[in-house]
Amino acid sequence: MRRALALYGGGLVLLVIGAFPLAWMLSTALKPSGEIFATPPTLVPKVVTLENFQRLFAETSFLTYFTNSVLVSLATVGLTLSVSAMGAYALTRFTFAGRERVAGLILMTYMFAPIMIIIPFYILVKQLGIVNTRLALVLSYTTFCLPFCLWLLRSFFHSIPLELEEAALVDGADLRRAVWYVVLPLALPGLIAAGIFTFILAWNDFLFALVLITSDELKTLPVGVNDLFNATIVDWGMIMAAGVMITVPTIAFFVAVQRYLIQGWGAGGVKG
Amino acid sequence: MNRHPLVGWLLLAPSLLLLGGLVLFPIVYNVWLSLHDKHAFMPVQAFVGLRHYVYFAQDAEFWSSVRYGVIYAGLTLVLQLLLGVSAALLLNEGFRGRNLLRGVVLFPYMIPTIVAVILWKWLLNDSYGLVNHLLLAGGLVRTPVAWLGKDHIMESLILTSVWQFFPFVVVTYLARLQTIAPELYEAAKVDGAGAWRRFRHITLPQTRNVLFVIVLLRSIFMFTKFDTVWLMAGEGGVSRYVRTLPVYAYARSFTYLQAGMGAALAVLMFLLLLAATAVYFRALRGDEAVA
Repeated sequence: MRRALALYGGGLVLLVIGAFPLAWMLSTALKPSGEIFATPPTLVPKVVTLENFQRLFAETSFLTYFTNSVLVSLATVGLTLSVSAMGAYALTRFTFAGRERVAGLILMTYMFAPIMIIIPFYILVKQLGIVNTRLALVLSYTTFCLPFCLWLLRSFFHSIPLELEEAALVDGADLRRAVWYVVLPLALPGLIAAGIFTFILAWNDFLFALVLITSDELKTLPVGVNDLFNATIVDWGMIMAAGVMITVPTIAFFVAVQRYLIQGWGAGGVKG
Repeated sequence: MNRHPLVGWLLLAPSLLLLGGLVLFPIVYNVWLSLHDKHAFMPVQAFVGLRHYVYFAQDAEFWSSVRYGVIYAGLTLVLQLLLGVSAALLLNEGFRGRNLLRGVVLFPYMIPTIVAVILWKWLLNDSYGLVNHLLLAGGLVRTPVAWLGKDHIMESLILTSVWQFFPFVVVTYLARLQTIAPELYEAAKVDGAGAWRRFRHITLPQTRNVLFVIVLLRSIFMFTKFDTVWLMAGEGGVSRYVRTLPVYAYARSFTYLQAGMGAALAVLMFLLLLAATAVYFRALRGDEAVA
């Protein structure tokens, strides 16, 4: 009995810590402006309104930022998965001199935080002539997700018996088809986990977007919303509505594929 | 069947190209930059040797940024560990709603930093924030506290960061907890060991290695954290009360446009981390020898 009480008490505290701030954000976003500043504050809005969301879409460039974020994040996921699946396949199914050393070197690059190389990175991107493009963001995020995704997929490919692939080959499939129809489906949980990490990193990034993008119509959500926040006297209802809009895709994505995620998480760990 | 090594290298080529071009090359280029006077946009540059390093050795702002960085990383680390490990121990027990809670606890870590920051700025708002409302209503303070003013900005930043990053500790610690053999606990229970003693003599030794890694990774991540700190305090005003090394390096490069000096700060950041990591590894290896 005392044990149950402690468990549920602790669980409740954890629930409040994890979810309450987000619930408060949602509650504020749904209140009319008068109620936002009411004393005492109301937890559940007395009047539910979507006017904060309407203002956000009608009076700001939020939709542009949102579109940019979606485009950049999805492109990053696609590119990262292709590049890292190819790389991880090479690291597990081909033998060549220096293979393990290359794998070690890739892991080492994981140790460098973006802030430590952002200056040369910026100058390099400028010299390549792709500063202030979405492509620059996609390449940055792909690069910084690669070490993790390569190692994650490498461990998944390792666990797939070579015999399955060989059997497909004996049955007359060429290597490309064997990989596409046998190896990749079996590595699906790994691909999903890698895809989610990549999506979240690209969706959340602030530093690269701040440094590499200058025109307003190319900005992604974190920088765009920070600009909205700093622009004038803070419109709290609208800002919280923006917060809700940014959070929903992440949480929806996450809830949909949570069971794969935990598996991948155990295999690697995350950065941030 | 075609498993020629060349095909392997070909498959690996895009990864190596990206990592080589966009991580390894910038690392080398950064060291080179740190030895030059370079404008962030203009092509102006001149070799100055170690002058930037000599300058920073005597620069009060550099030392203050190191101090703020250590305070920020140290305190957030300790609090994340306490909260994260407690939460993981709780989530390792069996009770109804546990799986749901395991998901919910990850939310703060999943959401973008910008959301965490605006959310806490709203909660901590001096006139309308919920935190001040509750403190006033509970009689804990008489007048609203300026949580985002210069006296409390560091506490607010730490609070926001701990909230945002403790789930990392929960997930990694929980993953290890789940692999501890239940027999160990059964045996201890038979011997009459209480909860605290079971934690102290079974859980802690079993999770020693994962704690080692968590402390290492989280210290590095917190010491190099840029976005939370920068978003929380902005560039002017109270920002100098939380100006950590990454923020200082950013300001040198992109506000004062002194790319060479910014690069030197990045090198110094790396060297400080390297030194701290070396000390950490040595200290714990020595510890192991004793135990």
